[in-house]
Amino acid sequence: MAAAETLRPKGRPDAGRLVLIAVALTFLGLFLVLPLLVVFVQALSKGVSAYASAIADPTAWAAVKLTLLVAAIAVPINLVFGVAAAWAIAKFEFRGKSALTTLIDLPFAVSPVIAGLVFILLFGAHGWFGATLRAHHIRVVFAIPGIVLATIFVTFPFIARELIPVMQAQGKDDEETAVSLGATGWQTFWRVTLPNIRWGLMYGVLLCNARAMGEFGAVSVVSGHIRGLTDTMPLHVEILYNEYSYAAAFAVASLLALLALLTLAGKGFLELRQPELRHAARRARWRRNS
Amino acid sequence: MSIALRGIAKQFGEFAAVEDIDLDVPTGALIALLGPSGCGKTTLLRIIAGLETPDQGQVLFDGRDATLWPIRDRKVGFVFQHYALFRHMSVFENVAFGLKVKPRRERPAASEIRKKVHALLELVQLGWSGDRYPAQLSGGQRQRVALARALAVDPDVLLLDEPFGALDSQVRHELRRWLRRLHDELHFTSIFVTHDQQEAIEVADTIVVLNRGRIEQVGVPGEVYDLPTSAFVHRFLGQVNELPVRLSDGRAYVGPIDISPAAAVNTGAVNNVALIRPHEIEVGPEAAGWPATVTAVRVIGPVVRLDLCVQGQPANEPLEAEISRERYEGERFAVGQKVGLRFRRWQVYPANGAAA
Repeated sequence: MAAAETLRPKGRPDAGRLVLIAVALTFLGLFLVLPLLVVFVQALSKGVSAYASAIADPTAWAAVKLTLLVAAIAVPINLVFGVAAAWAIAKFEFRGKSALTTLIDLPFAVSPVIAGLVFILLFGAHGWFGATLRAHHIRVVFAIPGIVLATIFVTFPFIARELIPVMQAQGKDDEETAVSLGATGWQTFWRVTLPNIRWGLMYGVLLCNARAMGEFGAVSVVSGHIRGLTDTMPLHVEILYNEYSYAAAFAVASLLALLALLTLAGKGFLELRQPELRHAARRARWRRNS
Repeated sequence: MSIALRGIAKQFGEFAAVEDIDLDVPTGALIALLGPSGCGKTTLLRIIAGLETPDQGQVLFDGRDATLWPIRDRKVGFVFQHYALFRHMSVFENVAFGLKVKPRRERPAASEIRKKVHALLELVQLGWSGDRYPAQLSGGQRQRVALARALAVDPDVLLLDEPFGALDSQVRHELRRWLRRLHDELHFTSIFVTHDQQEAIEVADTIVVLNRGRIEQVGVPGEVYDLPTSAFVHRFLGQVNELPVRLSDGRAYVGPIDISPAAAVNTGAVNNVALIRPHEIEVGPEAAGWPATVTAVRVIGPVVRLDLCVQGQPANEPLEAEISRERYEGERFAVGQKVGLRFRRWQVYPANGAAA
């Protein structure tokens, strides 16, 4: 009887469901919404004009531009790598496949600080390639190339990890059909594979982008903290914070948070524009009305 | 287009998927590759399509060696069990795909593509569905879209991998008949893979029975059903009762029934089994044959299946006999009734080795 009661689809909402919803909402509020609010409240604590001047500060602007530049380089590179790796792993059998899968996870397993140190060891003044690089007047460490490399390293699992299960679940039937219908490999990728994986891909890109803009540890090691030159937004926030300019620190932090919110909004917007999703929604509405 | 396979073999790691396959498919034939799962039938189909490369042997298209031809150049239409429709495209776009990816020189004009797609959708009785998305269609409709899509590029060969496997039996039956008619109208060479003997018998001109990567028998449906050359084929095409054969004084017996002379009876040390299909058992009055007791009666549409417990056979392995509904209406066999059995037909195989 009791079981039948709880399984009843309609009727009074039972206690278990309310408790679960309450727990989820409380957790969300406490750990996600509240901190986000605090960022904005703190940022505006000295008034709008202080906020505006903190953001208009040339070093803050330089940090914003550098962050966007690094993300703009790292994300596309990881996009290409992620799609290629996921394609190889999901659709082909080859020796060393499991080793490749494990390697992709490496950046998740390794602390970002170590990732940064690795690049110092490789490209630093006393590193393996240090002498060669100096001879050719190429700066990697304590310069933009080092920051980009560290960011790529830290963010490279995101897209591949997101795509591998999606591609594995979809199998090879669609691609094989396309090829048997006369499509070239390139046509198959653009017209069949890419549309099939676009949601996973977009989600991977979002995660990758968020991490690329927000990465602190690895970038901190290789950046050298040259204000206005090699400071990214997270690094700049820390510097301001350590200088006790809380309002300015939170102003820059709020910009970083805004960038994250923007990417999420972008995802929502794209979802709304999808023909099948619109279709499905229309059908559901039609069924409800009839 | 005619297809010939010569000495085809393919390994996956340690596992030999197909071995030593020779097969000729004449132009315009409709052939079924029939066998249990893991028998290599799908691998063989994929080798013909060019989706797999054989380790050994040749695939000949109209006598020309096509073994290493890329899939795109083979002019084969391939239909998957799970349709593999492009879910982000409408039905129209799915069918038009093969035309739209053609190099610009060969690509028909947009208006021509539209005309052809509509004609194909009419052919598969889905003229109304062009604007729908695959998710909005039923399984049978999706499979027909997949067929229309494969036909759009005018293939010389149509290859179907368990095309009706994912459909319920009513739809499956309709689609089989429809595929047969379509084939008779359009005259392309078709090969389809199935594990369903009923489907193979209903649709195909020729059945190729595969077992453990090798061809067991090739023949027209009636032939493989009535004259199986091995116990495996006999068992795989339809129900069978298996009974041990006893040799005594140069004669062969199943229970008390004398089945000699039975040409296939091996008088050596090997044991023999007789395989008898349910409809080959004659159920009569008790005195007229091998005494048996009816233990179950099931009316299945036009036929009635009787479970029969015979002397000398374990009670939990009753024989299955099939009689017509009309006979059943006349004689009213009931559970517990004593009857006598005779065999109309049987076939004897050595018991060891032939067991699959």
